[in-house]
Amino acid sequence: MASFTPYTYIQCPCYDSTVRGWTADDASPTISHELSEDDDDHAFDPRAPRSTFSLYPLEYLLYCDVCHQIRCPRCVSEELVTIYCPNCLFEVGSSSLKTEGNRCFQCPICIGPLAVQAFESPPESALLSSDNASTPIPSGPWVLTCSYCHWNSSEIGIKFDKPQGIFAQLQKLRYGEDQSKHIVSGDTSPAKPDSIPDTNKARFAALKSFYGSQTQKNKPTIMREADSINEGFRLINLDESSAISQLRRDGWDGTVTSAQTKTQVEEGARFADQLWPIPYLLRTKRSKRCPVCRHIISKPEPKVSNTRWRIRLAANNNAIPSISIKPLNPPPGSGSGLLKPRRPAQFLLTFKNPLFDDVKVTLATPATTPGRFASRVTVLCPEFHIDANPDNDMYLDDVLKDGERERQRQRGDEGIHQAEAGKIWERGRNWVSIVVEVVPASLRIEPSPSLPSKGDPELDLGPLREDEDILEIPMFVRLEWESEPSHDQVGATTSKDKDAREKRELAYWCAIGIGRISQD
Amino acid sequence: MSSNTGPASLPHRTVSSIRAGAHSTAAPGPPQTPARPITSTLGSPSTSSRVDDDPIVIELGSRKLRIGFAGDAAPKRVVTFSPDQQRRTGDFRAWEPDFASQWRCRASGKPWGADHELWRLDIRGQDLAVVGDKLERELRDAFFNCLTRYLLIDAKPRKATLVLPPTLPIPLLSSTLDTIFHHFHAPTISLLSSPVMTAFAAGTRSGLIVDLGWHETTVTAVYEYREVQSRRTVRAGKLLVEETYEFLLRAVRGQPATVRAEKIEDRLQDEALSFEECEEVATRMLWCKRAPRQPYRRTADEGLPTVHEHEEEVEEVPPAEDHSPMTITLNSCCSHVFGLKRRIFDEVSILAEERGWDTVRGKGAEQYKTNPKFQRDNAGQAGNGGMPIIVQSNTTSSDGEATEAPVKAADVPQEVDGVEDHIKRERNYKPPVQGLLRAIDSLGPWCGGSLATQMKVPALATIDREIWGQQGVNGATRPSEVDIKSGQRQSMGPSGLIRGQAAQPSNWTLGVWGTLF
Repeated sequence: MASFTPYTYIQCPCYDSTVRGWTADDASPTISHELSEDDDDHAFDPRAPRSTFSLYPLEYLLYCDVCHQIRCPRCVSEELVTIYCPNCLFEVGSSSLKTEGNRCFQCPICIGPLAVQAFESPPESALLSSDNASTPIPSGPWVLTCSYCHWNSSEIGIKFDKPQGIFAQLQKLRYGEDQSKHIVSGDTSPAKPDSIPDTNKARFAALKSFYGSQTQKNKPTIMREADSINEGFRLINLDESSAISQLRRDGWDGTVTSAQTKTQVEEGARFADQLWPIPYLLRTKRSKRCPVCRHIISKPEPKVSNTRWRIRLAANNNAIPSISIKPLNPPPGSGSGLLKPRRPAQFLLTFKNPLFDDVKVTLATPATTPGRFASRVTVLCPEFHIDANPDNDMYLDDVLKDGERERQRQRGDEGIHQAEAGKIWERGRNWVSIVVEVVPASLRIEPSPSLPSKGDPELDLGPLREDEDILEIPMFVRLEWESEPSHDQVGATTSKDKDAREKRELAYWCAIGIGRISQD
Repeated sequence: MSSNTGPASLPHRTVSSIRAGAHSTAAPGPPQTPARPITSTLGSPSTSSRVDDDPIVIELGSRKLRIGFAGDAAPKRVVTFSPDQQRRTGDFRAWEPDFASQWRCRASGKPWGADHELWRLDIRGQDLAVVGDKLERELRDAFFNCLTRYLLIDAKPRKATLVLPPTLPIPLLSSTLDTIFHHFHAPTISLLSSPVMTAFAAGTRSGLIVDLGWHETTVTAVYEYREVQSRRTVRAGKLLVEETYEFLLRAVRGQPATVRAEKIEDRLQDEALSFEECEEVATRMLWCKRAPRQPYRRTADEGLPTVHEHEEEVEEVPPAEDHSPMTITLNSCCSHVFGLKRRIFDEVSILAEERGWDTVRGKGAEQYKTNPKFQRDNAGQAGNGGMPIIVQSNTTSSDGEATEAPVKAADVPQEVDGVEDHIKRERNYKPPVQGLLRAIDSLGPWCGGSLATQMKVPALATIDREIWGQQGVNGATRPSEVDIKSGQRQSMGPSGLIRGQAAQPSNWTLGVWGTLF
């Protein structure tokens, strides 16, 4: 079992507003209302399948400072800023996207980057010649080669006339001439009977023009069925014996893995010689807006090479205290690092306030964790204040003070200091540590009557599922603070006194992964 | 499938007549497809409400999701649902070195391969909100990460077209619609039927669509762009993968064919194989042997025993209408099994040869047919055109040339009308192929949906975002009620854009997907 790192996931409040629609057992959709009301009473279950989609690490969350709400990747609206190739970092203009296509390609076998090389010269000398300007420039057909697995495009019979404009050449080789210009005029004129290559794209274009010609005549006619190749009609080639014999000849290695098929642009490749170079999936830089107030809450620098942000209202800097977890009394030698079932263990949660205001934090957890293995959880101090984040010039002072306190603690109080209910463990300038006591459940799967079954008649005796051995605490966090009234909400604050401090609150569920429970 | 099994002899609207709009006159035509005039109050969809940007076409399957723009030849992205996409954000354990070897602990406690599916057709006990969440994540990914390859997607919501299998349960459909309306703010969602779109993408108007899917293989008879009948069987991709598992496990254990139907827990034993491995084998290595009896050719090959599963697949093929080009479209992982198309086609050919296209079988039917007393009535009916003409169909070679079987005197074609022929020739009319069993390749339902959306073919149903928000799935009325009100029969559906203009926003349907009550 891999080592376990404690983690915190935060559920975006947008989860509750999503329409539930139909629920599991009942066929009646009317139940959805009751359920959503019920939701407030029910504790959040981080193991429910839906939770996977609404839990985010703190770093992924943004915060809209106008609406005072957490915004997760699901509840922001995004706009493209820059489109670029992840391989060469070339910025692609939105207008040239369609016309020019991709510049870089990936190896269809191993997804390594492909390079254009002259076909005649062996790869080694080609590498040398590219370093040496003095050597004669290689000419002749060009191929795309992968420097990792030594695949090159001549294996599927692709050679290029010139080393530039690979995308256009590849398109031409694959789809023939541009089919959109080719119009099948009417029906009787089989102008170019063999002109349509046997590709899906060409067939689609032919079919499209066929339907167009059928429907766009000025006099009403009866639409007929397509019946020639020029009209996109094709009978299935039922004789696949050649493919079967190829399957027998090439065997397992000659066929395409499912991972390779997924990266292909077109579906349907079966053998390795049907794999085409993959144009790199372009990446984008996107700015994000709050969907409610339309304010920009995240905006990257438009230049590709610049990884900084112009605006970024990250939740961990603007609202949500970060939570770090460590065991209160780390076992000596650290052993397996697993939690012993039915043995109480204490953990230290440290909340760090990013705000410039004092924050009142209220925590709530269910007494036992949800799921089949109910561990007991006790938060010893569920309500506390965290002081404001100090200004920068006071920072040094703060560090010194903290260091002083640390030393004091190490010097004398160690034996005396004990976790007490209702008291915080430790307090810093803008952080507070509290103690959480857990009694991990036993992971034995047996129908024992001692288990606190919550009216659940049928016990699930299935085997241990993935991550079910992790002790994960759902915790409801409520923050209250007073801050300057925001300048943006002019209309909202006019009634109040300008000097009055505005009361804010924020509440959300989070899931705290404390540790793994050992299975014995 | 209650909605659209009207008698086939009634006139249908054709795509051409829909598009021709108000200026179309009652044109004389062949009896099958008379063009119908549309009154101007209903409007012509071709000219009104034309949107500049292309709608998004989404084909939904239980394993795969195809998404792209209308008018494109291929979807921009094909999503295969897999457990990797169902991890929490920021869970990077998939990159740990020993991740792949721990599949047993990940797969435990769930139905075999359940993580690879978007939904199960058995929706009892399924949390449909999870379906919505899964879909939402994939669509978001597709919208923002993949479609930007060629086209700029802005925040502007786009119309969406859903291509759906004909037998999708309403709760799943409802969940899907919820997701798209809620998260992607599509102003309208049009629903298209996957078999009809398959026929559309094959260039035909009628046919027998054999769709080898994941949960089910559906065989749908499509006549004039309408689903006439749909039969289903579980002999589909999932069963094939499970068969592959049994086969491989026996090979690993060195057992001969033993008791099968193991429990899920047994599938996680040490020597057992993972779902992924089995699927890999199933997609890469399987091929299908030929039918034991060939219609005209006779060869025998040895295949893997697993493909026996497909033998009976075609025995439930419903009889199509009076002409039946067969289109086989293949969708899922098992669809690309080499030789399978031929096998299916051969089996259908044999069935058609043996039984003809008459559903009625048995002693009574035989007596009825041989009894001379009934013969006259029968012939008279056929002559009136009330009953479909039964044409024995057979193939001579794989390229689809056919010899017409000898027909009854009553079925002898009418004398040639020179004038009508001339008119027809002027209009480039070609008689539809009838009584010929052909296997037609289709570009697939996604391409059909893309074509149809671009050509502004009215969908089976179009759902407005606001109405959905107000009424939800309960608001859907029976398609028949709407049909009566608008006084039309449909081939592609009367609702669509027409309903948008009619002052009856309360009447909207889910098309062939039915209603709640």
